[in-house]
Amino acid sequence: MTPAIEVRNLRRTFRVRSGLFGEDKQIVAVDDVSFSLPTGGVLGLVGESGCGKSTLARVILGLLPPSAGEVLVEGQRLSTLDRRARARLIQPVFQDPFASLNPRRRIRDIVAMPLVAQGGIPSRQIAGRVAEMLARVGLSAEQGERFPAQLSGGQRQRVAIARALVLRPRIVICDEPTSALDVSVQAQILNLLAELRRDLNLTYLFISHNLAVVEHVASDVAVMYLGRIVERNVAGTLFRAPKHPYTKALLASVLTPEPGLGVPDVGLGDVLPDPANIPPGCRFHPRCPVAQPRCATQTPLAVAGAECLLLEGAGTP
Amino acid sequence: MSEALLDIQGLRVEFGDTAAVRGASFTVARGETHCIVGESGCGKSVSALAVMGLLARGARRSADCLTFAGKDLLARNEQQMSLLRGDRMAMIFQEPMTSLNPAYTVGSQMAEVFTRHRGGSRHAALDRAAALLGRVGITAPGMRLGQFPHQLSGGLRQRVMIAMALMCDPELLIADEPTTALDVTVQVQILRLLAELQRDLGLAILLITHDLGIVARIADRVSVMYAGEVVESAPTATLFADPSHPYTRGLLDCVPVPGKVKPGDALGSIPGTVPRIRPSFAGCGFRDRCTHAAPVCAGTVPRQHAGNAHEFLCRLPPGWAATGQAA
Repeated sequence: MTPAIEVRNLRRTFRVRSGLFGEDKQIVAVDDVSFSLPTGGVLGLVGESGCGKSTLARVILGLLPPSAGEVLVEGQRLSTLDRRARARLIQPVFQDPFASLNPRRRIRDIVAMPLVAQGGIPSRQIAGRVAEMLARVGLSAEQGERFPAQLSGGQRQRVAIARALVLRPRIVICDEPTSALDVSVQAQILNLLAELRRDLNLTYLFISHNLAVVEHVASDVAVMYLGRIVERNVAGTLFRAPKHPYTKALLASVLTPEPGLGVPDVGLGDVLPDPANIPPGCRFHPRCPVAQPRCATQTPLAVAGAECLLLEGAGTP
Repeated sequence: MSEALLDIQGLRVEFGDTAAVRGASFTVARGETHCIVGESGCGKSVSALAVMGLLARGARRSADCLTFAGKDLLARNEQQMSLLRGDRMAMIFQEPMTSLNPAYTVGSQMAEVFTRHRGGSRHAALDRAAALLGRVGITAPGMRLGQFPHQLSGGLRQRVMIAMALMCDPELLIADEPTTALDVTVQVQILRLLAELQRDLGLAILLITHDLGIVARIADRVSVMYAGEVVESAPTATLFADPSHPYTRGLLDCVPVPGKVKPGDALGSIPGTVPRIRPSFAGCGFRDRCTHAAPVCAGTVPRQHAGNAHEFLCRLPPGWAATGQAA
């Protein structure tokens, strides 16, 4: 079966200038990333800020062209699709429902926008589909008449979801969809997303820095570090038996509400990852609590889904 | 239990026609970490600002009692408060970039705190600043003193804020969401640092957070706030073992915990959103979202004592959850 998303050797770089007269520097935000996501799956993408997860999402959405490599959506190359065709296949839900909705438009107009942009759809049909979609995400017709400022954060995120789904796309890219929300509202939105996926047979790429959230929603998890996916596995396996030291550290950093356990020492030290200055060898070695001398020189290859030299058979000298 | 360093009784804060804090009471003992937990708009940050005397103009503050180390804060004017702030009580905020001055170096900002409260030479103040930067785990403190805030990462900035708060050996540190803007791996480092400083310096910490995971791991005592009131207060282990206010129970159900809920099952959630409360509002602020609400909830809500310094604000009696009396 054709995967919903297939990413092949994707690379995206940015040029930035450091200071007014500084030299141009190259930032490798996404570095030779390949993966595929089967239809109906939920791939959780986790990693710290600056690891390239949002850049990857923007390339897959077609908002940024790749520097190298390609993205296939339902078997079609993204670069061959025009904006309208892309919008019918793949839609985003972003983090901040305060910034991603036009404050001067009524909710029903915001949700109708993707249909209007397609062109040629009769306005009565548009109104019908908007009403249906608003009801589907738990908003009333009366709320459809309001402006974004009159809604709470959770309600705005429902609007963003309605707008993403009104074209009946196959794939939704959720970039930190609940990070700006309170926990009680986060749970409502996560439950809504899960229900919609089941009912509409959607495929999600779900980006989050919160591993507990990813564990709850994802069927597969990819861990990103400095532009590369350093570990990828079925969610249950990755959470039960993480292989990469970075995945282990991320999991150890999850503070579950269990009193008496204290704050763990994850042993990462205070060197921070800098995408403008990617270390040679294994890019994680300056922070790795179990790094060996060879990790500074040898580049690890993926073994059983994880890129670490210490895993059996990898990079034997 | 040791003497209360900070004692707040019946604190009320109103902005225009909104009641942000409605009779909140809590105490922080010397050397303890007291966490205030709640969702946005529940009044937790406003309570902290009210203690520090940092409320925005136009806010009305009143309280039955507001004392710090035996001193009545209600009787102090702005000038007298500014002598305490940064000296015996210090505060750190969520986003260190907005609380550090971008135009001054780390060293000059840290030194100013010290010379302002303690006098002495700038040189002596810079020496102390360098020592404290080392204490909070910053390597090459001498170099950092000459840097500007934008040259530091988020985690480093928060360490600088903590070091600056410690310049005058405060007895109380108020930390408002100190790790919310940080990555999870940096968050655990900052929380470990706070716990360690508290142990070594005997610091009392009032920590404000929305994250029950943080509460469980570092608090000695927890107060849960909702709609401007402390709805439940207990020693940490007791609160998690026997959450008694329906809001606390709902909040705990909402938190995704690896392995708690089977994949595909729904998370617990609380319907509706936090209401906006007007000064004339009476009764339980949670009743519109509560599955146990009854007509009496619109009247005065009793404070239930469940023993072991565990209190909650609800019509339901202690132990209702265990015995199924929630009819």
